[in-house]
Amino acid sequence: MSSWLDYTINGLIVGNVYALVAVGLALIFGVSRLINFAQGSIYLVGAYIGWVAVVQLHTPLPLTIILVAVVAALVGLIIERFGLRPLQNSVRIAPLLATIGISFVLDQLVMLTFSPNPRALPSQLPDVRFQIGGGTIGPLDLLIAGVGITSALLLFVFLRYTKLGWAVRAASQDRDAAMQMGVDVNRVNQTVFGIAAALGGVSGLLVGMYYNQIDTAMSLQATLKGVVAEVVGGAGNVPGAVVGSLLLGLVESYGIAVFGTSYRNLFAFLLLVVVLVLRPNGLFASARQAPPEPLTGTFIAPSRPVRIPRWAFAVAVALFAILPLLPVSFYVLQTLINAWLLGMLALSLTLVAGTIGQVSLGHAALLAIGAYTSALLSLTLNLPVGLAIIAGGLMSAALGTILISPSFRLRGHYVSIATLAIGEIVSLVILNWESVTRGPIGISGIPPLSLFGYDLVDPKAVYWFSFVVMVVLALLQVRLLGSHLGRSFRAIRDDDIAARAYGLSLNRYKSLAFIFGGFAAGVSGGIAAHLYSYINHETFNTQQSILALTVVILGGLGNVVGALLGAVALVGLPEVFRIAAEYRILIYGIVLLLLVRFRPQGLLGTI
Amino acid sequence: MGEAYASLLSLRGLTRRFGGLTAVDGIDLDLAKGGLVSIIGPNGAGKTTLFNLVTGLDRPDAGTVSFEGRDVTGLSPERLAAQGIARTFQLGRVFGNLSVMDNVLIGAHTRLRAVKPAVPVIGPLLELGLALLRPSAVRAEEERLREEVKAILARFGERLLPRIDQPAYSLSYANRRRVEIARALALKPRLLLLDEPTAGMNPSETAEMQGLVAELKAEGLTILLIEHKLEMVMRLSDRVIVMDEGKKIAEGPGEQVRGDPKVIEAYLGHGLSGTAEQESAA
Amino acid sequence: MSNINRRTLVKGSLAAAIAGTTISRAAFADADPILLGVSGPLTGPNAQYGTQWKQGFDLALDEITAAGGINGRKLAYTFEDSQSDPRQSVAIAQKFVSDPRIMMELGDFSSPASMAASPIYQRGGLVQFGFTNSHPDFTKGGDFMWSTSVSQADEQPLLAAYAVKKLGLKKLAVLHLNTDWGRTSRDYFNNAAKDYGAEIVVTEGYIAEERDFRSTLVRVRDANPDGLVLISYYSDGALIARQARQVGLKQVICAASSVYSPKFLELGGDAVEDVHVGTRYFPEDPRPEVQKFIAGFKKKYNGLEPDAFNAYSYDAMNMAAAVIRIGGTDRKAIRDAFAKVKDVPSVIFGTATFDVATRRVKGAMNAELVVRNGHFTVWDGKPT
Repeated sequence: MSSWLDYTINGLIVGNVYALVAVGLALIFGVSRLINFAQGSIYLVGAYIGWVAVVQLHTPLPLTIILVAVVAALVGLIIERFGLRPLQNSVRIAPLLATIGISFVLDQLVMLTFSPNPRALPSQLPDVRFQIGGGTIGPLDLLIAGVGITSALLLFVFLRYTKLGWAVRAASQDRDAAMQMGVDVNRVNQTVFGIAAALGGVSGLLVGMYYNQIDTAMSLQATLKGVVAEVVGGAGNVPGAVVGSLLLGLVESYGIAVFGTSYRNLFAFLLLVVVLVLRPNGLFASARQAPPEPLTGTFIAPSRPVRIPRWAFAVAVALFAILPLLPVSFYVLQTLINAWLLGMLALSLTLVAGTIGQVSLGHAALLAIGAYTSALLSLTLNLPVGLAIIAGGLMSAALGTILISPSFRLRGHYVSIATLAIGEIVSLVILNWESVTRGPIGISGIPPLSLFGYDLVDPKAVYWFSFVVMVVLALLQVRLLGSHLGRSFRAIRDDDIAARAYGLSLNRYKSLAFIFGGFAAGVSGGIAAHLYSYINHETFNTQQSILALTVVILGGLGNVVGALLGAVALVGLPEVFRIAAEYRILIYGIVLLLLVRFRPQGLLGTI
Repeated sequence: MGEAYASLLSLRGLTRRFGGLTAVDGIDLDLAKGGLVSIIGPNGAGKTTLFNLVTGLDRPDAGTVSFEGRDVTGLSPERLAAQGIARTFQLGRVFGNLSVMDNVLIGAHTRLRAVKPAVPVIGPLLELGLALLRPSAVRAEEERLREEVKAILARFGERLLPRIDQPAYSLSYANRRRVEIARALALKPRLLLLDEPTAGMNPSETAEMQGLVAELKAEGLTILLIEHKLEMVMRLSDRVIVMDEGKKIAEGPGEQVRGDPKVIEAYLGHGLSGTAEQESAA
Repeated sequence: MSNINRRTLVKGSLAAAIAGTTISRAAFADADPILLGVSGPLTGPNAQYGTQWKQGFDLALDEITAAGGINGRKLAYTFEDSQSDPRQSVAIAQKFVSDPRIMMELGDFSSPASMAASPIYQRGGLVQFGFTNSHPDFTKGGDFMWSTSVSQADEQPLLAAYAVKKLGLKKLAVLHLNTDWGRTSRDYFNNAAKDYGAEIVVTEGYIAEERDFRSTLVRVRDANPDGLVLISYYSDGALIARQARQVGLKQVICAASSVYSPKFLELGGDAVEDVHVGTRYFPEDPRPEVQKFIAGFKKKYNGLEPDAFNAYSYDAMNMAAAVIRIGGTDRKAIRDAFAKVKDVPSVIFGTATFDVATRRVKGAMNAELVVRNGHFTVWDGKPT
C-alpha cells in the first residue's frame, strides 16, 4: 500500500512541474482568450538563457532567476507587440496560428544558436534529499512548488487587489466594455504577456535544473502538458490551472501504476477529452456558466474567394496530368506525389476545419487509421490493394467520426485542443495495441500499390494514380459544397446557434463532414502505406497535422482549389529551400506568421 | 383538421434562473392561432431569455411549453424548428459568409424532403449520397426552393433581390435584419418569433418593416413579437404582455397596458436606459 | 602608390588562389569527387543525430583524402535533410536515384524514414546503406539494402552476458525506449538473459519524449530486482539513472551501448557513477583503428570526446570508401562490392565483413565498461 503513497507523491511532484507552464497559459487565456502555443518555446528560451547564466557566467541562483525572468519577459513583450497585437481585430483563429508560427521560429532559433545536442543544466541548490514515503524529494522540488504556488497566489492577489489587476479582469470579461471604461487593453496585454513569459522562462530554467538536462525538443512537450493541465483546470482560471496540473500528474502516475509506463500519455489525453466532454469549461467552472467563446462566430475571416475560371482549372489539371510525359525527373514526380497525398489530407481538413469550422489539430490520426487498415487488410487477408485502400478510407471515415464525435459539442479553440488530444490518443493506441498494430515494430513488407493485378511501382504510374484519386476526391468535394450540405456546413460554421434554430442538427452535419473528410484522409493514408511499404506509430505524427492545417489556411479555409494549391506550395517550397536545410523550419514559421498577419483569409480566400 | 388545442402556443409557469438571478419567473402566456402578441419591457426584463426557452436554445428550470397542444418543453431547437417554429435574433445572426440566397435557403432546411429521406439510422448517409448524386427529384426540389426564396425576397422590394448573390456580411445592418426575416419565412413557420425586428432601423425602414409584419399577420401567421417601438406594438398587437425582472407585470390590449401604473413605474423606475435606447433606436 | 600596392596585392592573391586550385587539381586528377548521398535529420526532433553523423563523416573523409582519396579521386557527400520523415526521405531517394553522380546512399536515421525509401532505392538500383537501421526487416527490403548497424540479435546477448554472467544479476528490471529499436532489443535481451538463468521481473517501455520516471521507478522498486537494465539513448538513460538514485534505488544499473557518449556522463553527473555499459569500443582500447579515431576526433573537434553515433558514421564512411575502391563508380558493381569487401578496419567491429545472407556485419567488438570517477573505464571485474 505504501506504493500508492509513492505514486501519489510522484504524481504531485510532476504535477508541480506542469503547473509552472499551465499558470502562464491560464493567465494569457484569461485575458486574451488565446491558447498560447508559444509558451513552451518561452520555456525553452528560459532554459537556455539559464544555461548561459549558470554554465558560462556562473551567476548565483537568485541572479540566474532574475536574469531568466527579465529576458523571458522581454521575449514575451516582443511576441505580444509584434506577433499578436497587430492581429487584435483579426479573426479569432489568427492569434492561435500566430503562436504556432512564433513557436517554430523561437525553437528553431534556439536550435541554430545552441545546436540540437542536449546539455546539462546543473542545479545550483545543495543536493540534500528528504525521505518521504518510499522516495525522496530535494530542494528543487520545494523550490518548484514554491514558485508555482507563490506565483499563483501573487497573481490572485494582483488580479483581485491592484488597479492593473482589476483592468486585466475587466478586459478578460468584456474587452470592448473595458476599453470604453478607459482600460488600456494594450497595456493589460503587455503586462500579462510579460508576467506569463517571465514565469514560463523561469519554469524552463527550474525544470531544466530538475532533470539536469535541456534540449530543443522540450518545448512542444511542455506546451502539450501545460495545455492539458490548463484546460482541465478551466481555461483562464489561474488557481484551477494549478489544481489541473496536480490532477494531471496524479492521473498519469496512477496510470503508470496500473497499466505501465507506456500508457502514461494515453491517460493524460483521455483525462483531457473526458473533462472537455463532461465539463467543457473545466472542472472548476460553475455548471451552467455561459461558454467562454463568443456566441457569434467570427472565427474565420469574411472574404470574397478568388474566382478561378473553370478553364484555368481544367488547363492546370491537364498540365499536371501530362507532366510525367515531359522530361521531368522522378524526384520532381515523387515530390508531387507527396503533394497529392498531402492534398487529399488538406481536402479533408479544409472541409472539416474550413467548411464546417471544426479546426482539427489531430488530423494525422485519420491518415494513420486509413494506413493501418489498408496495410493490415492487404497483408493478412490478401485483399487487393485497391480495395484495401478504399476500406482504409471507409474505416477512417467511420472510426474517425466516432472518435472525434465527443468534440462536436465544443467550440473554437476547444475543438482544436480536443482533436489534438484525440490524435495523440490514436497514436498511443497504435503504439500499445501490439496484437493488432504490432506496436513500435510497425508493419513492414506492405505490398506496393496495384490496380487490377498490375503493380504500380513506376513513379509515373504512382503519380497518375495518386493524382487521379486526388482530382476525383476534389471534384466530389466541389459537388458536395454545391449541394444543400455545403451551405448547411457553412451555416453551422458561421453561427451554430442560428443554424440549430433552423433545424440543422450539429451532430448530424458534423458527422457527415467528418465521414466525407475522413474518407479522403483515410485514402491518402492508405496510399502512403503502400507507397512506403513500412509504417509505424511515428509515420503519421502531429507535425503532419500542423502542416495540413497550414496548407488549409494558406489556401483559404474551405477552398478546395486553395487546399491543393497550398499542398503543392508547402511540399514544393521546402524542397526548393533544401540548400538552406537548417533554416527551413524557420522560414516556414515566418511564412506562417506573415500569412496570418497579411492574408488571414488565405491565398484564394475562404469559401 | 380538428384542432384539439385551445391556443397554438401556451406557456405555463416558465422559469429560468442564472445563479442568483431569475431571468424568467413563472411566465404564463397563451397565443391563439393567427394572433399577434407583443412582449415589451425594459432591458434585462427577460424577454430574449423567454424566446430562447420557447425555441429550445435554453432549457427552463421549471414550467412547460406547449405547441399545438403537445408538450415541447426542453426539446432541441432542431426539433422545434422542424415543428414549425421560426425566430429572428435580437442582435441579428445571419450567416456572414453565405450569400443572401443561401441564407434564406437555410431557412427552408426543415422542408427538404427529397434529399433528406426520413429513414432511421442510415438517413444521414443517404442524405450524403443524394447530395452527391443529385437525382432529378433532388434537383427539382432545390430549384423549387430557389424560386420560393426569390418570391420571399421580392416582398422586400428592391432591398435584397439585387444582392442575392452577395455574402451577408457585406449587407447593411437593416438588410441583414431583412435577410433574417426572409430566412424565417422560408421555414413556412406556424409560429414566428420576432426579436426586435426594427432595431437599428430609421423611421422609414421601420414603417416598411411594420407594413410587412402587418401583412404577415393578415396572411394568418401567428406571431410573438419583442419590440421596443411602442407605436408599432400598439398598432399590430392583439395583446401586449409587459415583463419586468423576469415577471409578467401586466397583460391586455395595448391601450389598457399603456395606462397601467405598474408598467409606467417599471419603465420610469429603472427602465430609463430602456426608453433611452428606444429613443436612440428610433 | 597605395593604389598600385593594392592592385599588386590583389593580383598576388589571385595568383595564389589559382595556384591553389592547380595544386589540388594536381593531387586529384579527376576534378569531380565521387559523391555519396546522405539522407538524415538536420532539423526536427532527431536533429542532434544528423549533426553527430556529420562529425564522423567529415573526420573519415579527411583521412581518406589525406590518404590520396579513392584511386586518385576525392570522396564527398551531399547531406539532404529528411527530418527523419518518410515523406521527405522518399523524395530524397528519388532525387539520389535520378542523380547519376550519386554512387551510394547512406541513411536514413529512423526506420520509418529508411524503410519507406527502400523500395525506391531497390528499384532504382542504388545501394541504401542504412548504417544505423537495426530494424530486423530493414535489409529484407532487397539486395540493395546493407547495414553495419550492430544487429540487436548480436548486441543484446552480449549485454545480457555482462549483466547476468559477469555481474551476477539474477532478477532484472528492463526499461526500454518504446521504439522499433528498443522493442527489438528488449526481446533479444530478455531471451538471452533468461537463457543465462536470470529472471525478468518487470519490463517498462517509455516514449522518447518522456522525462519523468519516478512512477516507473516505483514499479521497478516493487518488483524487487537486483539490477536495472537500460535499453536507452544517452539522454533518457541519464535521466533514468539520476531519478533512480534520487528515489533511493541502489541496484546495479547496466546500460546498452547506445548510452556510450560523453553526454551521458555530463547529463547523468554523479548518478551514473558505477553504471555498467556494454560497448563496442572504449578510449583505452589499444586497437589502432580506435586510437586513430579518438585521437583524430579530438584533434578535429577541439578535444570533444566521440560517442557511439560519431563512431557509427565514421565507420560507415570508411566502409563506403572501401566498397567503392572495389566497386568503382558503377552502382551495381558497388552493390556487388559489399559482398566482396573483407576485413575493413572498423571501430565497432574491429574488422568488418558482411554476411551476404543477412547483408549485415556480425561480430561486433565487445567491451565491458563501467563509469568510475566520471569516466568510462574498462570494468575491472570488481562488483559495485
